[in-house]
Amino acid sequence: MPPELIGLSFELGPLLKIPALLGAAFYIIFAFVIVKQVNKMTDTLEIGLEGLLRAIAIIHLLFSIGALLAVLVIL
Amino acid sequence: MPDVFISEKKKPNVQNRMPKVTHHKHVPNKAELAAYGYTKNPVAAFRYYPDHVNFVGADSEEKIVLLLRRHAITNVPWIFLTIILFSSPIVALIFGFFDAVPIDFLTVGFIFWYLVSFAFTFEKFLGWYFNVYIITDERVFDVDFINLVYREITDANIDQIQDVTVRVGSVIRTVFDYGDVLIQTAAEIPQIEFDAVPHPDKIAQVLRELRVEEEVEKIEGRVR
Repeated sequence: MPPELIGLSFELGPLLKIPALLGAAFYIIFAFVIVKQVNKMTDTLEIGLEGLLRAIAIIHLLFSIGALLAVLVIL
Repeated sequence: MPDVFISEKKKPNVQNRMPKVTHHKHVPNKAELAAYGYTKNPVAAFRYYPDHVNFVGADSEEKIVLLLRRHAITNVPWIFLTIILFSSPIVALIFGFFDAVPIDFLTVGFIFWYLVSFAFTFEKFLGWYFNVYIITDERVFDVDFINLVYREITDANIDQIQDVTVRVGSVIRTVFDYGDVLIQTAAEIPQIEFDAVPHPDKIAQVLRELRVEEEVEKIEGRVR
C-alpha cells in the first residue's frame, strides 16, 4: 500500500501483516478445537449426520489454514 | 447285582424353578407411530422411537422412546443474525464503504469475516443439534454441551419421577405448540427441565404411560 495515500512515510502493509498472521494462527487453533468438539459430540451422541458434521469441521480447519496462507501471500 | 437302569443324574436347576422373567417391551404399532409423529428426519426436534440412535451410558436393552430438542423456531434469532453477517460485506461493497481500502486488505478481510461468520453459524447449529433430551423406557436424560469443552449429562429413572409439569406461555409458544416440561424426581437432581420442546402435552403423555408401565412391571416382578 503506497504510503503517500494515507500520508505516512512508511508502508502499512508489513505492519498489518504480523497481527493478521497472529490472528490467522489463533483462528487455526480455534478451528482445531471445533474439530475436537465435534468429535466429542458425535462420540457422546449418535443421532445422525455424524459424518457430515465431522467433514464440515475438517473442511473449516483446512480453510482456516488456507486463510493463513492467503495472509502470507496476499499481504 | 448289575444295574438294570441307570437314570441320568440331573442337577437341580434353580433357574427352572424361578418364574420366567420376561421384559415385555412396548412395541408401538403403525397407528401409534403415526399419532406421535414418527419421522426419520435427523434434524427433527421431536422423534418418536427414533432409528439408529445411540448415546454414552445407554443400556443395551434400553429402548429410546423420544429424542427431543428445542423447537426449530428457537433458532430464528441466530439464523437472522447469520443472514446479516453473510450479506453485510456485500451490501457494504455495493454502497462503496470499502472504496478507500486496498484490494489485498479487502480480500483478506472478507476471507476472515466469512470464516468467523461460518464458525458462529456452525457453533449455533451444533449447540441446537446436540443439546438433546432423551426419554427411554427406563430413564430420562438431559444432554447439555455448555461450551466448547464442557459437557453435562443428567439422568433419572422413570420410576423416580414424582411430578410432570407442562408449561406453555406466550402467543408464539401456543401457536407453534412448544413449551417447557418440568420433571420433578426423587433422584439426586430434583428437577430435569426440557426447555422449549415441541408437543409438550404429548411428552407428558408419554412419560405418564412409561410411569404406568414401570408400576405394572414392579407389580408383576419384571423389574430390571
